Amino acid sequence: MILALVVLTALAFDFTNGFHDTANAMATSIATKALRPKTAVALSGVLNLVGAFLSVEVALTVTNAVVKIQDKSGLPKAELLADGGSGLLLIILAGLVGGIVWNLLTWLVGLPSSSSHALFGGLVGATIAGLGWGGVNWNGDGSKLDGVVGKVLLPAVLSPVIAAVVAAVGTWIIFKITSGIAARFTDKGFRWGQIGSASLVSLAHGTNDAQKTMGVITLALIASGHWSDTENIPLWVKVSAALAIALGTYLGGWRIIRTLGKGLTDISPPQGTAAQSGAAAVILASSHLGFALSTTHVATGSVLGSGLGRPGATVRWAVAGRMIAAWMITLPAAGLVGAVMWWVGDMVGGVAGALVVFTLLVIASVAMYLRSRSGRVDSSNVNDDWDAAAETPVAPIPATATN
Amino acid sequence: MHNLGFALDGAWQVLLAGLVLGAGLPIIFALGIRSLAWGAGEASVTGSGVTAPGPRRPIGTVIGYLLFAVVILGVVLGITFIVAGGFGYKLDFSNVFPTLIEK
Repeated sequence: MILALVVLTALAFDFTNGFHDTANAMATSIATKALRPKTAVALSGVLNLVGAFLSVEVALTVTNAVVKIQDKSGLPKAELLADGGSGLLLIILAGLVGGIVWNLLTWLVGLPSSSSHALFGGLVGATIAGLGWGGVNWNGDGSKLDGVVGKVLLPAVLSPVIAAVVAAVGTWIIFKITSGIAARFTDKGFRWGQIGSASLVSLAHGTNDAQKTMGVITLALIASGHWSDTENIPLWVKVSAALAIALGTYLGGWRIIRTLGKGLTDISPPQGTAAQSGAAAVILASSHLGFALSTTHVATGSVLGSGLGRPGATVRWAVAGRMIAAWMITLPAAGLVGAVMWWVGDMVGGVAGALVVFTLLVIASVAMYLRSRSGRVDSSNVNDDWDAAAETPVAPIPATATN
Repeated sequence: MHNLGFALDGAWQVLLAGLVLGAGLPIIFALGIRSLAWGAGEASVTGSGVTAPGPRRPIGTVIGYLLFAVVILGVVLGITFIVAGGFGYKLDFSNVFPTLIEK
């Protein structure tokens, strides 16, 4: 019963991960009209689906980066299984709820924040509540880049800067090279450049992010004794996680797409090409080097960089500042929700506790969905002028950690 | 703070790879577009005014498409890289030509 709730919640997280991150790949193509909004999200959804199936590598140890609930092979720690695994399941459940609530809240205010940081934040919070401070892997063991500091905090600071530099250099040189050429060559050429590079980002996203959910679900299955193979992931887990992230991507987080595509800076096709190629290269290079980073931070950094690199373009620093503020509170805010959820679940206890946590999640989600109905952003108005729109009810609510 | 050292160590490698692939490929792409326009004998705006439309220059068109081919090759390598990683292979550049080897 608890297991079913955990699996359902994990898939729900995967879904929010998808629609939260559509913007990373497609915001620039939508803003420059290289692709129609619906076509863009459909393309991204399909590529996420394909990408998720390409990730054959087992990501069972995904939680090891931040918390100590598994050993090196991916098996749950024995002392956590004493009560049939329900203690561990509650930590996972509470952590996932923390991640989902934060994802929905940042979507509501239209801010691109990292889904993986939300997940990690939720898990850290739930682990502190359940196992105490010692249950968290704060700083690794000194042998490699690890822990909350090494896997979450440092990459979060460095990756947007790297992406911004790459995109700024690319944009600046591209504008130098193509200045003065007839628009019919640049428009058509860079349209394809954008579609190609954005597709690459979508594919990489599916490969990286769907894996995390697969890992979490498999961990829950092992904890409750329904799976024992640490080398493989059950096929139905893979299929359902891939479908959830693709469906979420197709639904599209229009509010975030709007912020990233129109809010940060006004993007032209050459900038879009430079931004997405930069993002794709940085994501691929860093996953190769084991430098864990968030697609969101990279995409945002590269859009910002393309605004800096284009002669005469303006960057709306107020929007950028709000994003950075949201990034900084992602970990503690999702952690707080995760911790509170664990306490609630633990207080009620057992299956009833898990049910209460799940119900709270549903209530919070429905509330935020209803709130989003006023001042809706969808495929029809995603490209409206940013400054004019600031007077309508879409005006962002301050990103505070309420829930 | 051993983590800071590891992070900075990884960061400059990512920056380097990002600049070569993430800025390099779009730059080649832009050169391709420029070459294509030149090959078509298109008028262009320069510092000293507008140049008159010239004759068609097939060599420009050919170079343009060659440059696009380089970019596509780069993208194909990128996709191979993602796919290979998932199936337990990795791209190896040690003998210049990229080859797939088992991890």
